[in-house]
Amino acid sequence: MTLTGVGIGWRPEIAGFVADLPGLRFCEVVAESLPLGGPVPASLAELRERDVAVVPHGVRLSLGGAEPVDPHRIQHLAGAAALVGAPMVSEHVAFVRAGGVEAGHLLPVPRSREALAALTANVRRTQAELDVPLALEPIATLFDWPDDEFTEADFLTELLDATGALLLLDIANVYANARNRGEEPTALLDRLPLERVAYVHVAGGSEQGGLYHDTHTDPVPPAVLELVTALCERRRPPALMLERDGAYPPAADLARELDAIAVAAGYPVVTA
Amino acid sequence: MTGATRSPRAGVADPAGETGGSGLAARQAALVAALVAGGPLPAGFDAQRVGAAAAALRRKRAGEVARAWPLLAADLGTGFRPRFATWAEGRPSAGSFADGFAYARFLRDSGELPPLGAAELAGREAAWAFDGVSPPRRRSRPDQLLHTLALRARRVLVHKWITRGK
Repeated sequence: MTLTGVGIGWRPEIAGFVADLPGLRFCEVVAESLPLGGPVPASLAELRERDVAVVPHGVRLSLGGAEPVDPHRIQHLAGAAALVGAPMVSEHVAFVRAGGVEAGHLLPVPRSREALAALTANVRRTQAELDVPLALEPIATLFDWPDDEFTEADFLTELLDATGALLLLDIANVYANARNRGEEPTALLDRLPLERVAYVHVAGGSEQGGLYHDTHTDPVPPAVLELVTALCERRRPPALMLERDGAYPPAADLARELDAIAVAAGYPVVTA
Repeated sequence: MTGATRSPRAGVADPAGETGGSGLAARQAALVAALVAGGPLPAGFDAQRVGAAAAALRRKRAGEVARAWPLLAADLGTGFRPRFATWAEGRPSAGSFADGFAYARFLRDSGELPPLGAAELAGREAAWAFDGVSPPRRRSRPDQLLHTLALRARRVLVHKWITRGK
């Protein structure tokens, strides 16, 4: 089963809004928020009864960490997939802890051979326990490591080739990184293996202190929607979804953002 | 970044020593220590960019603590996030519940804990054992009297707060 059309990140705070989307075919849920062994939150279970696909999205596996990924976290992700009958799961090209200290957010790995080997090993360890495909999401970062050996596109391509993983492309991350590095965001799109994209994240952000922050608590800027269109001109992804993680706006504003994504990508709106 | 001048707190692994074995492991530990534990900026990184990332991490943490400690956050209003973020500088997260616990105690000890925050803290002091280091754990035999009194005080204070100025 593949994902199709326009979806949204399911969060408890907007569960009512998501439940009322008549055309919704898929959503994402933070994997770590699902209790292992259930029960699934009632409104999420209702979406499953409507045959809306639910994709567990891990945020704390730390696949990019130098240490082997914690087997309990892999088991939880696999359990979450089974719990919601997921067609696939996703995680990040990132690490979130090191030396016993939690960073509290997704951090970039150096684009080095050593980091690529560690990532590849952790992705394979995870895939070995999963019954469904794994999609990997490159993150937004405000800084880079000083000694990158690969370009971002080459690093990701090597990783996907070595693991057979799918690509979860976050178009807002592409925008944020390019803007903060002073690069053209379309340059990365031209070099990524777009045929590997399983679905796409679209999110909002804001400029603070001269840097663009991928906050997920601000509206999706027009430039990000334009990049959605630029992506679709190259190769239209099978599915795209809005990612909002706080400061939730009124339902009408969320509906407008979903419609704007549908229009930018040429997919039917899911709000009516 | 401002945290670079602080000495790492106890309990934070020495990034260059303990975590060795792999160059990548040590370098990742050093970066995390610089971001959240007041460790020095590893060589070659852009100090301004890493500092901006560290500040963003503290803002995100403040939002998570506000969800776990809603009365404390509501009582401090718009001041909560910047004040928590300042306090959190150089202190790695122990989870949003424990972070809020430690921050509420810090405010109490410095005489800056507002009434709703005090009521929230009192209720949790009664129900949870927290030594400031290990994760808070529910008391096996909670002091029911203390707990009840704290809840009652909170109800009174919430009522006062809701009807303030009326």
